[in-house]
Amino acid sequence: MIEAVLFWIGAFLFILGGVFDLLAAIGMIRFPNFYVRLHAATIGAIYGAVLPLIGISLMALGIPELPGRYAVAGASFITAIILLVVAPVGSHVLAYAAHKSKSVPWSPVVDALEKDEEK
Amino acid sequence: MKRVIILISILAVTLLSSLVISFVAEITVPRSLRDLSKYYIANTIIDTASPESVAAIVWDYRGLDTVYETLVLYLAIVGGLAIFTIKGGFPRGEPMGLTELSRNATKIIVLLIATVSAAIAFHGHLTPGGGFPGGSALAVATMLIIPVYSVNILLEKGITSTKLVAIRGFALTGLGLVALLPVVKGLEIVTNQKFYPGFLNGVVISGSISLYNLLEFLAVASGFTAVALYLSIPEELYKGEVRD
Repeated sequence: MIEAVLFWIGAFLFILGGVFDLLAAIGMIRFPNFYVRLHAATIGAIYGAVLPLIGISLMALGIPELPGRYAVAGASFITAIILLVVAPVGSHVLAYAAHKSKSVPWSPVVDALEKDEEK
Repeated sequence: MKRVIILISILAVTLLSSLVISFVAEITVPRSLRDLSKYYIANTIIDTASPESVAAIVWDYRGLDTVYETLVLYLAIVGGLAIFTIKGGFPRGEPMGLTELSRNATKIIVLLIATVSAAIAFHGHLTPGGGFPGGSALAVATMLIIPVYSVNILLEKGITSTKLVAIRGFALTGLGLVALLPVVKGLEIVTNQKFYPGFLNGVVISGSISLYNLLEFLAVASGFTAVALYLSIPEELYKGEVRD
């Protein structure tokens, strides 16, 4: 019983990750400038990669006949955690570098960063 | 419109080729083993006391080849360092680095990389991996520190190029000694099982294979880190040196 529940929760997360990947891809094409596109790319990295990996680990736990299922589950869970730490930092550093080097046009409606830096 | 047509055609080609490959092309898997593979599978654990036949081939059956390969890489890095050497030692400056957020995340990642690289190197005689991949992975950690924290932090902590080259020299001397020591007892160079013990207190150490892995780990990590340090010197310094 618990195995079936784990498997279906995992499968749901897996498919949800695919949906988020599709949304991120549409956002990459449709969004107007660098910073908002970066937001879409990060959605692809977090919801489109971390969620399916957690889903895979739950699915692996839900299949008792899979050889080495604890190894598969552990490896994908750890990869998900590492991605969760790394991916936001990557986009943060990209945005920081783009802003500091003024290599992309910057026309904000509200500039909270400037207010912070004035202090 | 043109973009959409290009995108659709790329998608169509990808889907079609994957369908063609999966239905038409026969992916053949070999059904029998060659005699050499059979020999390695049957005898690796007896000959070398290592369950990992790749490590056994690299450091035991073909050990001499790998020792010379290490020598070639040593000379390549020495050559690189000789080109990049500057008068008056390494330039020092104020560390600047990136934002607080990226620094904190880098701390976690560097710790993880160091752990994984040590695991790759010290389990090299049991699982896939070994000294070279482990050392390269550890060098990645220092290459991550250089852009995020600045090279000056590394220099302040005492990771200077002189020390790294010294560690590298020590590790390679050790590697040469491990390879040469069996000659003292009248055995061939790079002998493993006839000279080094395969087990230590019941733990598999695979004779010289784990020693080679440890020393290669140190040598590769320090060599690549030294190269990364030298590559982070700004170009203006070299230009100034040429003008003088």
